[in-house]
Amino acid sequence: MPDVPRPAVTYREANRRYLRAFVPVMIVYVALCFAGVLLLDRLSAPPLSAPPLWLRTLVALASAAPIGLVFVLLWRYLAETDEYTRVRKTTELAAAGMLTACFATAWGFLELYDVVPSLWTFLLGPAFASWLLLSLWRLVSERHRV
Amino acid sequence: MKNRLAELRAAQGFTQGALAEALGVSRQSVNAIETGRYDPSLPLAFRIARLFGEPIEEIFIDETPRPSPSRARSNTNRRS
Repeated sequence: MPDVPRPAVTYREANRRYLRAFVPVMIVYVALCFAGVLLLDRLSAPPLSAPPLWLRTLVALASAAPIGLVFVLLWRYLAETDEYTRVRKTTELAAAGMLTACFATAWGFLELYDVVPSLWTFLLGPAFASWLLLSLWRLVSERHRV
Repeated sequence: MKNRLAELRAAQGFTQGALAEALGVSRQSVNAIETGRYDPSLPLAFRIARLFGEPIEEIFIDETPRPSPSRARSNTNRRS
């Protein structure tokens, strides 16, 4: 087979780069979640008063930072992966985003009219991830079909 | 868009994985192109054409109905 110019980063390399960065970031995320709760619990234990606002803000933002980083990694992955994967992933992300927005809007109105209890907005992230996982499941099942 | 990718690949005795590797794309991409579920971009189509040593139009078949010559002529006249 003759050699043809290949993209600067091939599909395999893009996958490898993404996973190599994603796994440590998620480990840091889980560690920060636990560390934050433990730290604030310890600092608010009697006889101490509640930790200062700046510290709670810092812990909260530090815990959320890895999720922002995951989206940066995802953005890089979309730029580097092959075009077909890019189209599919972008469609899946758009679908997950739209479903999350629809869900949040519907829940917001239900909440406004006292039909449902107030939802912790913190749960929207996992909801988005769940829609993505559903797309991933579709991808895996399709992969077995081909 | 129809294409002869599966036929050309089979003629050379390559697997989808080997072709994907040579092009730097995923095996799913090759499969999607072969089954007509995805039309590649121009740069990828050129890479495929170069790989098999065939012109693009010999690999990818444009099935869009073309206007009949008389109709095309009347459209040209109308424009001028």
